[in-house]
Amino acid sequence: MSELTISRRGLLAGSALLLASTALPTIGRTQAPKRGGRLIVAADSEPRNLNPAIVASNGVFFISSKIVETLAEASFDGKDGLEPRLALSWQGATDGLSVTFKLRDGVKWHDGKPFTSADVAFSALSIWKPLQNLGRTVFKDLEAVDTPDELTAVFKFAKPTPFQLIRNALPALSSVVPKHVYEVGKIEENPANNAPVGTGPFKFAEYKAGQYYRLSKNDAYWGKDEPYLDEIVYQVLPDRTSAAAGLEAEEIQLAAFSAVPLADLGRIAKVPGLKVITKGYEGLTYQLVVEINHRRKELADLKVRQAIAHAIDKDFVVKTIFLGYAATATGPVPKNDPQFYTADVPTYPFDVAKANALLDEAGYKRADDGKRFALKLLPAPYFNETKQFGDYLRQALAAIGIDAEIVNNDSAAHIKAVYTDHAFDLAVGPPVFRGDPAISTTILVQSGIPDGVPFSNQGGYKNPDLDALIAKASETLDTTARTELYKQFQKKVAADLPLINVAEWSFISVARDTVGNIANNPRWAVSNWADTYLES
Amino acid sequence: MNRLRRFFRTPEAIAGANTLALLIVMALAAPLLFPGDPQAIAGPALLPPFQDWSLPLGTDRLGRDVLAELFHGARTSLAVGLAAAAAALLIGAVVGTLAGFAGGLIDEALMRITDAFQTVPSFLLALAFVSIVGPSLGVVVAAIALGAWTGPARVARAEVLSIRERDYVAGARVIGMQPMEIAFREVLPNALPPVLALSSVIVAAAILTEAALSFLGLGDPNRVTWGGMIAEGRAVLRTAPFLSIVPGIALVLTVLGVYLAGEGVVESSAVRRSLS
Repeated sequence: MSELTISRRGLLAGSALLLASTALPTIGRTQAPKRGGRLIVAADSEPRNLNPAIVASNGVFFISSKIVETLAEASFDGKDGLEPRLALSWQGATDGLSVTFKLRDGVKWHDGKPFTSADVAFSALSIWKPLQNLGRTVFKDLEAVDTPDELTAVFKFAKPTPFQLIRNALPALSSVVPKHVYEVGKIEENPANNAPVGTGPFKFAEYKAGQYYRLSKNDAYWGKDEPYLDEIVYQVLPDRTSAAAGLEAEEIQLAAFSAVPLADLGRIAKVPGLKVITKGYEGLTYQLVVEINHRRKELADLKVRQAIAHAIDKDFVVKTIFLGYAATATGPVPKNDPQFYTADVPTYPFDVAKANALLDEAGYKRADDGKRFALKLLPAPYFNETKQFGDYLRQALAAIGIDAEIVNNDSAAHIKAVYTDHAFDLAVGPPVFRGDPAISTTILVQSGIPDGVPFSNQGGYKNPDLDALIAKASETLDTTARTELYKQFQKKVAADLPLINVAEWSFISVARDTVGNIANNPRWAVSNWADTYLES
Repeated sequence: MNRLRRFFRTPEAIAGANTLALLIVMALAAPLLFPGDPQAIAGPALLPPFQDWSLPLGTDRLGRDVLAELFHGARTSLAVGLAAAAAALLIGAVVGTLAGFAGGLIDEALMRITDAFQTVPSFLLALAFVSIVGPSLGVVVAAIALGAWTGPARVARAEVLSIRERDYVAGARVIGMQPMEIAFREVLPNALPPVLALSSVIVAAAILTEAALSFLGLGDPNRVTWGGMIAEGRAVLRTAPFLSIVPGIALVLTVLGVYLAGEGVVESSAVRRSLS
């Protein structure tokens, strides 16, 4: 920890700078980013595998997106919501069988070797398609990647693949890793998975288990003058309440992913020197979903599912559990999605009387003790909010005579119980919407998914119409027609309720005033932070 | 009657007994005063205490009545504390009597098992047990008893060792009683008082262990527990500290009450012994 202590010289320099800055007239203060400094960030988990090409999840991206870059990043105002990173341009063929990427020139890996199209081909064929959790579906028809020259990569697909899908998948699924590091030995066991080598603005420096990750500046980064920071330190703070205290004590400068509990934000917002930022997560929408096991005879009845949907007061959930930092959901695509969302779906307003009537109609009358039937409810343990919603749902179900017993598990046991053993009746899950329904949304309702695949349809739901619609959309090349199919998909899901979408939420960052260029893209927390700076 | 008077001679015992009585009344009255599910949503979320007299202690993050939760939590705490202590005393007394009375290999084997349990910190044992079997009230009781029976076992064995040499035990042998009959009908009842003296400590520890397990999310999620209430309030410790403080105070008073009352019992019986 010695390198984290404040040196006397550093302190003197800092205070001299502070004196100077107060002496200067305020006109002299420009928005030009300052260089140097160490940004200390709160981290609440310690992913073991830091390779974003294999594990495409936000916990991994949070750290490794600064080291390993993708072909493109999400953007607020770029064309199709994208801005170039390792690729400068991308063009899909009209037959949907190929996509051509022009790559950035003069990019070097952290070990000094040049970045070429061979690295892209290797990453796509040897990692994204066979190994990556999300790439397995999106790149399933990828057959070959041609590399006519060092700066061109042409993706060849066996079946027509919508260019819209590939485009939407780029920010999360296209992390490029160096071929020369990974071509020897088994990819899953490569030491670079724990100490990644990339092209990003920061290099992996060290990791002390239970303490911190340290990233240091990449002096040979391709971005002009970037990065501004000298170092990023991820201080491991597994206890959520300590992040707020750390910010107030100036021990950390940034807490992303709602590391500060929502209930504390009202108080934190009033602390001088701290700012609460709700932007920068538009591309990372989590959905609060009630997963349903359709193997239970009661739950296989649409009327029962409708009754449950009517029993949930979504406004209460948003107001009380998310304290307003969320939106009510209407269906499987979140409201903030600019491409696919449609509000034209069947809705289930909060109506306990109607829910009770539906259950009576379905033939599940209340017994003498007022209960109709009992079931097991498994709230996912990943977020405070999913657990709290579990408590709420138990009460909401009690109001309509369904006796829910909550079963709490740790993460591993929860995933096993729900997605492998199917030992649940209802579960509360937080699936992520990743900009395109085909990436991680349709598998929540599609049938025929093998046991054990987490965050997929493991409720035994089977609807041939819906399956056919999903299959058709996955090979429709025309963007308008494809979007239209996904609007139908939303309607069908909302009508048949294979699962119940309750709310959509994103995260909140809290930072010290001195941190600049925060939240300037829709996936900011998991982007590369090349332009982030510290004022003092 | 004399004994009762002696018990109430010390102020600690009086305080302890009163607290305990209050707790028992709370636990018994909970379903009468707060019928229905204490976890039902009763009002706006995070209402501070003493604002609304229909919800005198305010509400938690989901709008549940804190006072109702406190009363129903007393039931869980007492039930778990008493059940775990009873189970621990029973196991301990049986193991101790068998070991002390049988002697030899059986004694060795049983005492080494006791040693093995005693070397593992009882809280870790409970933690491991609950996380493997899954949290429910019965499992929590078993987990706590599992770590608490060693003390009674050792005390019981020591008592039995001295009792089995007494004349009446030899007499029982002579009239042809079965060894097991002698052990459990003649020896055990006489070895019991010092073992029972441990009960207050065990009950207090069991209540605390149950609270700690619930605090870590390993309590029965379908029941209100004080530990669970503290854990629930911890997320809003800075904005609504009363959510953690109220059940915390209840916990402190209960453990203190149980302990003081237990001390009173021990003192009064010690006085009796010295008098006799």
